[in-house]
Amino acid sequence: MNWTIRVSSSLDEVLAFLANERETYGLKELENGHYSLTKSTGWQPEYHTLGDFRQIEPLKALFFPAREFIGSWKDQSALHPLPNRIVFGVKNCDLSSLGVFDHVFLNGVCPDPYYQEAREKTILVSCDCNSHLDVCFCPAMGEQPYAMSGFDINIAQTAGGYILESGSERGEQLLESARQYLEPATGDLLEKLEEQRTRHYGELVENSKAHGLNPGTDFRTAIETSFDSDLWQEFAEDCVECGACNFICCTCHCFLLADGYDARAEPARTKLWDACLYSGFAATAGGGNPRPLRAERLRNRFDKKFSYFPQVLDRYACDGCGRCSEACIANIDVRDVLRRAVDECDALHAHSSDHRAN
Amino acid sequence: MNATLYMPIPAIIERIEDETPDIKTFTIRPVEPIPFAAGQFVELAVPGIGEAPFTPSSSPRISDFMEITIMRTGRVTDWLHNMKEGDELGVRGPMGRAYPIADFHGREILIVGGGCGVGPLRSLLLALIDDLDAYARIIVRYGARSADSIVFKDAQMHGWDQGGALDVMLTVDEESSNWDGHVGMITDILEEDYLDCHASDGIAVMCGPPVMMKYGTGKLLERGYLPENIYLSMERNMSCGIGQCGHCRLGRYYICKDGPVFSYDELQNDRGLWDD
Repeated sequence: MNWTIRVSSSLDEVLAFLANERETYGLKELENGHYSLTKSTGWQPEYHTLGDFRQIEPLKALFFPAREFIGSWKDQSALHPLPNRIVFGVKNCDLSSLGVFDHVFLNGVCPDPYYQEAREKTILVSCDCNSHLDVCFCPAMGEQPYAMSGFDINIAQTAGGYILESGSERGEQLLESARQYLEPATGDLLEKLEEQRTRHYGELVENSKAHGLNPGTDFRTAIETSFDSDLWQEFAEDCVECGACNFICCTCHCFLLADGYDARAEPARTKLWDACLYSGFAATAGGGNPRPLRAERLRNRFDKKFSYFPQVLDRYACDGCGRCSEACIANIDVRDVLRRAVDECDALHAHSSDHRAN
Repeated sequence: MNATLYMPIPAIIERIEDETPDIKTFTIRPVEPIPFAAGQFVELAVPGIGEAPFTPSSSPRISDFMEITIMRTGRVTDWLHNMKEGDELGVRGPMGRAYPIADFHGREILIVGGGCGVGPLRSLLLALIDDLDAYARIIVRYGARSADSIVFKDAQMHGWDQGGALDVMLTVDEESSNWDGHVGMITDILEEDYLDCHASDGIAVMCGPPVMMKYGTGKLLERGYLPENIYLSMERNMSCGIGQCGHCRLGRYYICKDGPVFSYDELQNDRGLWDD
């Protein structure tokens, strides 16, 4: 169901109502023009905003914290439960990335109770991107700058007003409960939204193409074909294996179960983000390492995203948010790597058709 | 909230037996039984120190305790080797895919082990021996570095052949005065002179160091075993054990949940297969 805000009300009023008593995350605009997820109690109109494009940090941190205390050896009693939460301003790249996390932490051998609780207790209010960053390339990954599923409520800003759409049962109930601020959106307004989305999608397609990435390209074949290419060594020469691309990535989910001691000096276990670029990531006892070279580890990262996930989940584990390109201190741009792999793959095919022609 | 997904249950070390100078077999009794099938693995944790994956070497018929044969080869295994009977460990499991023993019924089974890799195979062998008549024939070929590094005493004393019911042969790489058996690589005793087998429809099960698995698989294929009938116990650093943490990925599989037992035809197209 699509709603719009009554003239007698304001967006801030609606958002404050939706946030209610929940732990509230909204975007805060920084001096450099970027956004950062900012926690508060309730919607804070003086600094919370929905944001025109995605925030700096990946949404995953709210569901899969960088450092999560699992338990102490002696005392495995229940941890503090999470509060009910609401996140405003989620962009589609982050929303889509949760599909990867749901696959790993909910639909595998056994669900992760921490992740499950975080998902259940968090209401996701997404919103359309109004503009994009230079590094954005979601159309090349089969995505678009607005959410089509996975949200509880989506908010789109149009010239004719805001459109609030429910995407889940609880989102629907929440909007129903806010009826005093809302009225059904008119067909005219929805048409405006469609035009606006089409226009903005087109702009992002142009931005992706300007960096050599076309929507519909078979990146899986490109990455698999380039297994023995020199490209991995060439890009790896600049890589300092800091793991920033892994940590900032909205889909990277690898972690380490680290044993140590808690504040009472009792043995305890913590779950920490891990990075496949680290040399010890796949190392085994006795000195074995399936990927001793940095080039192999860099290739592995692309293999996981563009070959493994298409095989097990029929999607790339990349939503084109471009965060890794921004975070890399060696200026390795994910788009350059993908474009190089595609170019080499195309050249190989052109070469083999030449042979057939001869 | 249930925290046991990533937290082990306590287990007491009941017995420690020296197998070789750097391999010990630990008998551990968890606070609650852990029923497992041959080939599945568990995570053993030293409190506050770390955790590592191991496959039990005892019979899967017994679930209230298990034997685990461990080579001293890294940080966690160093700690384990310094522990004493009565000490407390943590254990999580069982994890992963076991040997498909039901599919082995009526078939000839060749078990090929190398070094400490014979641990999981001992568990399998004990399961097979329980129901000896269900299999056409059981053959064991085991290679160790030297007579002193043969892992199980019952293997050395040929206790595995069940009074001649099984065809068992051992080999060591290095000659020594306390060894009167065969000297040579494991692949030598897979040759026709030492191995009379029905390769075309036989099952072969192999576990050992990566280099042995690589050349051993090559030899089995050469002898006529079919890729779908060769079972390999693969090892990577399985950490969470439930397909989440990402450390043990091999191509399209996670060793911890899709393996550790694979048939060779599932793996043969993976370009990183034999990387250790």
